[in-house]
Amino acid sequence: MEVLSLKVNGDTRCLAAAPQATLLEVLREELGLTGCKQGCDKGDCGACTVLLDGQPVLACLTLAALVQGREITTIEGLAPAHRRRCAESPCASKQDKLHPVQDAFDEAGALQCGFCQSGMILSATALLQRDDDPKRETIREALSGNLCRCTGYTQIIEAVERASDEHAGREHRPRAWEQPATEPAGEGES
Amino acid sequence: MLRLPPFELLRPSSLEEARSLLVEHGPGARPLAGGTDLLVNLKLGSTEAQTLVSLAAIPELCGIREEAGELVIGAMTPLAQVAASEVVRSRIPVLAQAASVVASPQLRAMGTLGGNLLLDTRCQWINQSHFWRAALGFCLKKDGSKCHVVEKGKRCVAAASNDTAPALLVLGARLVVLGAQERSMPLAELYSSDGAQHLTLAADELLVEVRVPLPEQSARSTQHSAYGKLRRRASIDFPLLGLAANLELDESKTVRAASLAAVALSAQPLSLPKVAAALLGVETSGAQLERAIVAAGALAQRRLKPLDNIPGDAWWRREMVPVLLGRTLRAALSDTGPVNGDPQ
Amino acid sequence: MAARDQHGPQAPWRGEFRVLTKPQRKVDGAAKATGEALFTDDLALPGMLYARTLRSPHAHARIRSIDTQAARALDGVHGVITGADLPQSYGVIPWTQDETALATDRVRFVGDEVAAVAAVDERTAEAACALIEVDFEVLPARLTPEEALANPEPAIHHNERRPGNISKHVKLEFGDVDGAAAQAAQVVEGDFSFHGTTHAAIEPHCALARPDADGRLTLWSATQITHYLHRALALVLGLAPEKIRVIQPCLGGAFGGKSDPFSLEFCAAKLALITGRPVKLLWTREEVFYAHRGRHPMQMHYRTSSDGEGHLTGVDARLLIDGGAYSSFGLVTTYYSGQLLTGPYDFPSYRFDATRVFTNKPPCGPKRGHGSVQPRFAFEVQLDELAERLQLDPIELRRRNLLGENTTTVNGQRITSNGFARCLDEVERASGWRERRGRLPRGHGLGVAGSMYISGTNYPVYPNDMPQGGVQLKLDRSGLVTLFTGANDIGQGSSTVLAGIVAEELGVEPEAVRVVAADTDLCPVDLGAYSSRVTFMVGNAAIDGARKLRRQVLAALAQEWEVAEEEILLAGGRAGLFNGDRDLPMREAFVLAETRFETLGATGSYNTPTLGGDYRGGTIGASPAYSFTAHVVEVRVDCETGVIRCEKVWIAHDCGRALNPVLVAGQMEGSAYMGIAEALFEHHTINSRGLHAGPSLLDYPLATSVDTPELAALIVESIDPEGPYGAKEAGEGPLHPSLPALANAVHDALGLRLRELPFTPGRVLRALRSQAEAGS
Repeated sequence: MEVLSLKVNGDTRCLAAAPQATLLEVLREELGLTGCKQGCDKGDCGACTVLLDGQPVLACLTLAALVQGREITTIEGLAPAHRRRCAESPCASKQDKLHPVQDAFDEAGALQCGFCQSGMILSATALLQRDDDPKRETIREALSGNLCRCTGYTQIIEAVERASDEHAGREHRPRAWEQPATEPAGEGES
Repeated sequence: MLRLPPFELLRPSSLEEARSLLVEHGPGARPLAGGTDLLVNLKLGSTEAQTLVSLAAIPELCGIREEAGELVIGAMTPLAQVAASEVVRSRIPVLAQAASVVASPQLRAMGTLGGNLLLDTRCQWINQSHFWRAALGFCLKKDGSKCHVVEKGKRCVAAASNDTAPALLVLGARLVVLGAQERSMPLAELYSSDGAQHLTLAADELLVEVRVPLPEQSARSTQHSAYGKLRRRASIDFPLLGLAANLELDESKTVRAASLAAVALSAQPLSLPKVAAALLGVETSGAQLERAIVAAGALAQRRLKPLDNIPGDAWWRREMVPVLLGRTLRAALSDTGPVNGDPQ
Repeated sequence: MAARDQHGPQAPWRGEFRVLTKPQRKVDGAAKATGEALFTDDLALPGMLYARTLRSPHAHARIRSIDTQAARALDGVHGVITGADLPQSYGVIPWTQDETALATDRVRFVGDEVAAVAAVDERTAEAACALIEVDFEVLPARLTPEEALANPEPAIHHNERRPGNISKHVKLEFGDVDGAAAQAAQVVEGDFSFHGTTHAAIEPHCALARPDADGRLTLWSATQITHYLHRALALVLGLAPEKIRVIQPCLGGAFGGKSDPFSLEFCAAKLALITGRPVKLLWTREEVFYAHRGRHPMQMHYRTSSDGEGHLTGVDARLLIDGGAYSSFGLVTTYYSGQLLTGPYDFPSYRFDATRVFTNKPPCGPKRGHGSVQPRFAFEVQLDELAERLQLDPIELRRRNLLGENTTTVNGQRITSNGFARCLDEVERASGWRERRGRLPRGHGLGVAGSMYISGTNYPVYPNDMPQGGVQLKLDRSGLVTLFTGANDIGQGSSTVLAGIVAEELGVEPEAVRVVAADTDLCPVDLGAYSSRVTFMVGNAAIDGARKLRRQVLAALAQEWEVAEEEILLAGGRAGLFNGDRDLPMREAFVLAETRFETLGATGSYNTPTLGGDYRGGTIGASPAYSFTAHVVEVRVDCETGVIRCEKVWIAHDCGRALNPVLVAGQMEGSAYMGIAEALFEHHTINSRGLHAGPSLLDYPLATSVDTPELAALIVESIDPEGPYGAKEAGEGPLHPSLPALANAVHDALGLRLRELPFTPGRVLRALRSQAEAGS
């Protein structure tokens, strides 16, 4: 066992861990940050995605001892950091509880079971950090290491677009089901 | 959840220290780069190590620089950085393309170029849990004596699955390796044909950097390269077949030099000089090109025989050899790589 | 039980919906977005032990003996159990209880559970498992249904009523099928096969058991059937049900894969009882593949007859179903494989002959679109062949055979609302079908298919006359309304739908409704999240309960204001009069109600009306309402590689009324995604050694964001007369047409008829080569 000093969501946390402890184990089992999920054991699903110095990585294949001194952001860190930023900057008018990407995911219905979402939201947040108006193709590519089994990705992509539109002050793009449909054919009416 | 077995973790801050730790700890010690392959294999028990020597804190292993007509890429440079590098993209695009299609965004941020070159060979009978392999009765890559791919096979045929290896092969890359002394060797010499022992490095040798000769840029000669990768999904997956092509054209658009390499076949990434030779002297602006591509494809198909080592349909992979070769060559000539499995 | 509480589509208030039919955020959306939501593996209790399972390395073997001495002696080990500790057999269907938590004398597939260990940590438990010595007598393994039928001994299960490794056989005939075929102008006949797929929810199964200080047992589990699990635990543990509390925390996806009671739940509970400490058992991803209960592989033979104009006259089906090692829901699967095909098309004669066979593989069960996705694939491809023969537009062929509304199917199922014709209109319009189909360049194609699915079934898995769905409601002077329901929110958003219904009925903001769900101590019984039953059944129960409270609130206000109840509007968290004369925060209205009626609470329940055909099995597949779906799929096929790229899916789904269109669209898109991925990528396959070919999320390839087509959800509303405000299901139906529509699109693209799933590039390329040879 070794005493590690990890900077997680802005806080420095000291804890004892074995050399083989992964960041996933430490976050979930030592720090109680259970928003970081375990889905596949070995780097195949992306549910354990966290940000390391702003970049999405897989906590299940990261040794905790090797990320000392780096900025680790988990899903639990997004909203508080957002609120801190809002408080610091007087021009921010909206001080929602949620980080804008989280808010967009919630609004767009991107959260079904929610199990892949913390990783997905972190991948999306990192994308929007480097490209605040990503094309659909770019969004798909940036999220292609995060498996979702519920949504078919559509509402997730819509959520990222919504966050981008919100950021730019644009109108939201209409979704397929919001387009006008044909007139009822008179069948099935009660 | 599947957890890592216990090991000792060492964190040298210099190359010399790393090497001496490897010497000190003997064959049970393994260098650890991005961890995206080694840690998975340790979790599964398909690899063992008593000591991991992390290379993460050695600054000189990371970075891309130009030096005397060569691009020098540190072994610990993340694949994402290689893929995004302006100089790599513009001067040796095949490498940027290959790096850009390895696994997924997260794994490219973690995985390194050196780690990809040293990636363990893969096979459907070895990339499984200890429970699974025990139920099978193990195989000759580890813990067993039988090959389940080739009946009565005595040599492991697990497949090289590293996308960047063929890219660097066609670029004529050399490796700088630190052992008792520093030495330099052509990339091809890194690999052996035994899937269970596929690297020629000694246990205490470290891959330090990759040196790629930068093509001359002149009006009289242009260089065109591309990487083609077949996989089931357009992300995450290892290659079912990977092909790299590098062509040098003279001012009349005639192929003056050609090199080709393939991966996901046998234990080694394979250079294909004889196939490449079929392209020499071909005028790429004319009808000759398509004939040459067909001829090269037929040659390649005779030479490359995918086995039932990695998951997937070996027949299909074999049929794909000429198709992927043709597409990769065309992408190279039109500078439109990488080629993926998307319908054309 | 007779029909009761038929609420119908009409709301009792004047004017528009204020909460329902609008996009509403999920009640647990923010908690999930912030990582605050707790899933089973996120729970940790003081003194908790960790358990692991020892599994069979043999596909079929007799257990001669088990020696656990060395495991028990290992430092840190607190409990070791084997089949002898949990000998009571169970199974989700009462008539086929052929599972035990741990093998008692036989193992039947590689991965079958043999022993479990609780220790201070997972590593120790794992090490202890390795010390358990099992003496196996290896038996021949049957890896295909044909092999199992040909070799009845040694039987996988001994069953005198059904020897020969037959798990279930159903043969039903309606009308004169052979006569129809004999007189038909067209008969299309052919073989189809479905390969087997699994749910692969991203959350692995996990259970946590705690022996409570008061002598009771609490089990948290990633289950979609809290109630059935509760019953099974009582049975297997030999405890009175009131001594057991089952709680489903947030659930990370299920799709039918968490609708059986599983070994880990019994093992965690038993180990907790033995050790006196909380025990958590989390399966690895590999173990989830062994738990399986995925979609059954099926070999299907169909013969479809029609007249010269394409009116169907008969359908004749023969199905061989590979069940794997245990029954699970197999009895129902076998019925569903035939019973759910009899719409959205009308045909006067039908026969199906389905046989489910035991094999030495992980057991199959219910996966999204239980039992009916495979037959639907075969039938809808065959309809495309029929259209081709008759030179009819495939949509036109389908229109000629519409079942229509308020009718009965050939097998006696009652059809009420039916928006299928509009589903066809929608996908035809949105996809540009008329302009584009048959006119795209070679390699590009459009295909259509339709389907119908149940909104719950009137068949609870154990027969009883109690309600199938129930809620309890509490409201008080705080202004908060609490809804207690046994319904399992598995990510589909059932709690959000129920909260929306309560908010609409009581006029409160959705945020003023708290849902307490899937806790057997606190919530009234609901049968669980399966068969797409929750919105329909529990939605009706919620209306029932909420209206009782609404009447009390209205009565109190009417008395206070001296007006008629009809003049009062409850909306947006305020009570007032329609004419605007009065206005009160709802909290104060609740105070008036609580003052007049004392402590406020209500129950609501739902039971289906009497449904189903009058024959053995006639109630299986009988639903109070059916949903309808049509898909158009657009593909691009690479003739050189055989790779199929699905470009877009237009999904038109008749969900009755979309109570929350965001959730409905999400279910439609998720369904279509899953269907397309099953057709192109996924294959749950056992290799020739009896080993799962790739029990990982790398080798079992779930489509990523870059593999998934554009999905266009087109919501069609038919306003069902019995659904809550007219709503029907949306979670399973929209999967069905994906696979045949894709196959039909490939035919449009290349003239290739694919009848064998999955459509791997190799398979497509071989077909292309054969086509070229045949053509030359």
